[in-house]
Amino acid sequence: MSDTILKLEDITKIYPNGTVANRNINIELRKGEIHSIVGENGAGKSTLMKIIFAIEKQTSGKIYYKGQEINYQGSMEAIENGIGMVHQHFMLIPSFTVAQNIVLGAEPSKSAFIDMKEAVRRTQELAHKYNFDIDVTQKVGSLTVSEKQKVEILKTLYRNAEVIILDEPTAVLTPQETEALFEQLEKFKETGHTIVFISHKLNEVMQISDRITVIRNGETKGTYAAADITMDKLTELIIGAKLEDSYDEFKHPVKDAKMLLDVQHLKYSEHGVGKVNDVSFSIRGGEILGIAGVQGNGQEQLIKAITGLLPFQDGVVKVDGTEIQGMNIAQKRDAGMSYIPEDRMVDGTAPGASIRDNLISTYYQKPKYAGKIFTKDGVIREESKMLIDRFSVKTQSEKEKVSALSGGNIQKVVVAREWNTQPKLMIAEQPTRGIDIGSAAYIHHQLIDMRNNGAAVLLVSADLNEVLKLSDRLIVMYEGEIVAHFASLKGVTESQLGLYMLGVEHQSEKEIREASYDD
Amino acid sequence: MSDMISSFFTPSFVALVIRVGTPLLFASMSAYVASLAGIPNIAVEGIMLFGALFGVYFSAISGSAWIGLLGVLAVGVVLALVLAFFTMKMKADPIMIGIALNLFATDFSVWLLLVWTGSKGTTANLPSKVLPTVNIPFIENIPIIGTIISGHYFLTYVCIVMAILLAILVYKTPFGLHMQACGLDEHAADSVGIKVNRVRLIAVIMSGIFAALGGAYLSMGYLSIFSNNMTASRGWIGIAAQAVGGGNFLIVTLTTGVFAIAQGIVSKLALTSLPSDLINTIPYVCVLIGLIGLSVKEYRKRRAR
Repeated sequence: MSDTILKLEDITKIYPNGTVANRNINIELRKGEIHSIVGENGAGKSTLMKIIFAIEKQTSGKIYYKGQEINYQGSMEAIENGIGMVHQHFMLIPSFTVAQNIVLGAEPSKSAFIDMKEAVRRTQELAHKYNFDIDVTQKVGSLTVSEKQKVEILKTLYRNAEVIILDEPTAVLTPQETEALFEQLEKFKETGHTIVFISHKLNEVMQISDRITVIRNGETKGTYAAADITMDKLTELIIGAKLEDSYDEFKHPVKDAKMLLDVQHLKYSEHGVGKVNDVSFSIRGGEILGIAGVQGNGQEQLIKAITGLLPFQDGVVKVDGTEIQGMNIAQKRDAGMSYIPEDRMVDGTAPGASIRDNLISTYYQKPKYAGKIFTKDGVIREESKMLIDRFSVKTQSEKEKVSALSGGNIQKVVVAREWNTQPKLMIAEQPTRGIDIGSAAYIHHQLIDMRNNGAAVLLVSADLNEVLKLSDRLIVMYEGEIVAHFASLKGVTESQLGLYMLGVEHQSEKEIREASYDD
Repeated sequence: MSDMISSFFTPSFVALVIRVGTPLLFASMSAYVASLAGIPNIAVEGIMLFGALFGVYFSAISGSAWIGLLGVLAVGVVLALVLAFFTMKMKADPIMIGIALNLFATDFSVWLLLVWTGSKGTTANLPSKVLPTVNIPFIENIPIIGTIISGHYFLTYVCIVMAILLAILVYKTPFGLHMQACGLDEHAADSVGIKVNRVRLIAVIMSGIFAALGGAYLSMGYLSIFSNNMTASRGWIGIAAQAVGGGNFLIVTLTTGVFAIAQGIVSKLALTSLPSDLINTIPYVCVLIGLIGLSVKEYRKRRAR
């Protein structure tokens, strides 16, 4: 158990532009352990993994693998020596079969030709050996995300990986799939594989790891046995400060709040399959309504129906008393609706455009920013500088491209833009997915700020913790329906919600009807 | 008129289709192999034109059709290297480089023509050689089959053999799988240690050779001279066939066959009193229909999802 397989000694990485990504990193991986590396986005985790995988070269420091100092010239050499990596963005070719993807680059061959039969046999055997229930002759494009991930893991095993680096593997998985992955990872321990697990979901890290190494600002803040450290302590190490457990003290009651969003009997179906079934709820100003639920239970379609990205078949949606069906996006925004979409790179921003342009992209046509022909550059410049400053977006200039920012900072740009429209209704869909804890906390405070200023906030998140901390009221969705409504979150626990999320329990119709106000 | 229609069902018409189809298949293979590896080559037309011109020139100055053919291969490789250098090394947009090569070929070939012959029209006054016609013993004497299979220009047989070899290369060898991987997702290919640039370079060189041979066929067999703009958009037809078939070589080949039949019909109808300008549009109308059919198919597929 305690044999060291990979050892990093005083690894420092300084990029040519002077950015210090890693400073004197010391980590020791033991054979057959699950070792998590945690830290905020930009803390230097990715750079470190790239150094281990020989995609990047360290500026100084030494790496020992199986007791010998190594100096690989490329990731190919790392792969050949038994270091495998499952990238966050899958490196799979959808139109190839599972077997083709697995053997690609190391094909079994008979004289000059590929021996496809042998490839199928070997990969099927491999899948069987590791209990991956998968047909290797099907195309990868038809697989689910978690199956694709399995293929990626099989790829590393096919190349006899002993150390497998998993970069944020659970970011794309549902809770059940995450459980299945963890069971699999436990089995890898038995077969003597070493797993490096990179994540910033702390409860998962606590659950799966044997040991945890914390990285902050490019430096190691210690390696701890998972059994010996508490979540609070870990959080403190990661962000270097304590985080609030609850936001209650920041919330102020809002007087004479009007009902700002009213959704009644909303129905939406796709190809005859009901995705949103008769959903009714309402939100007053000064209120955050959370929607909890396992992903894929209609939350996404509900939000798209409300924002108008999908046409709903039946029901009424009113924003501040105005029915919004049939309005175009600009009219809905004029009615006071604002939206933080789930996918910040596709729907939230134009990644190739500047921060300045992205900050005004939903209201640039307003007289304040545009004359009859030309935009008012001076006003826009001042405004974007103000927003960058207020939302502490880390950037040199407002002219920089959004794609050059880190995930957390991109999301801040989206939130800043939506905040700046002074919305009556703020719809936040997975507002902090995949971003670091510091930025997430910052965005939480902004949402609470909008709430305190009288906006109604609709929050959808796969992160139960986030929903529980932020919401004033909560509904749970299961198979397109509301199955529970909590008018107050006092005493509501995650496990209690879990029963509703999995469809085990169901509140009475009367209780669910209370999700809507009568006025 | 019925004579005319019945003449489409004769062995000699099939032979005609093979004759006019050869340069189209070369063009299709050229477009296919490059695009398969991820560097779309739209310079097929231009490379064909240069292949046709230099084949005539080299055979005329050397006095040998075979040396002329070697020259053609060299021209194909050089132009492929130009494409590869700018797209892979200098990271230029392959479409831009393709357009540049095509424009360059159109005008530069006329200038060379003028320098070498003093005329802007043809190389009729150059003593160029043609590649032989191949009569296959025994088979040539079998009725019908003999007419169809035997008696074609040398490069027609080369073309068929190369098409078979290309299919084997793409579908049966590791290198073929690597080419497909490079075209579909270069990062995925790179992550498993495939040398993306090397694979692409080889594919582009093959593409250049196919296109140049397609050109040589026109001026060193089909006709015995080079004439101004003699490729007459055959390269573009090949690109269209590639677009219809995508990564599927069988469909690319079958589509090329359809275009070849259309071209054959044009050759036949040209002998009638029908307006020739109108008839000449038939292959291009076929291309248009093919591409429209393709986009309808894609659209349906996307909607079904």
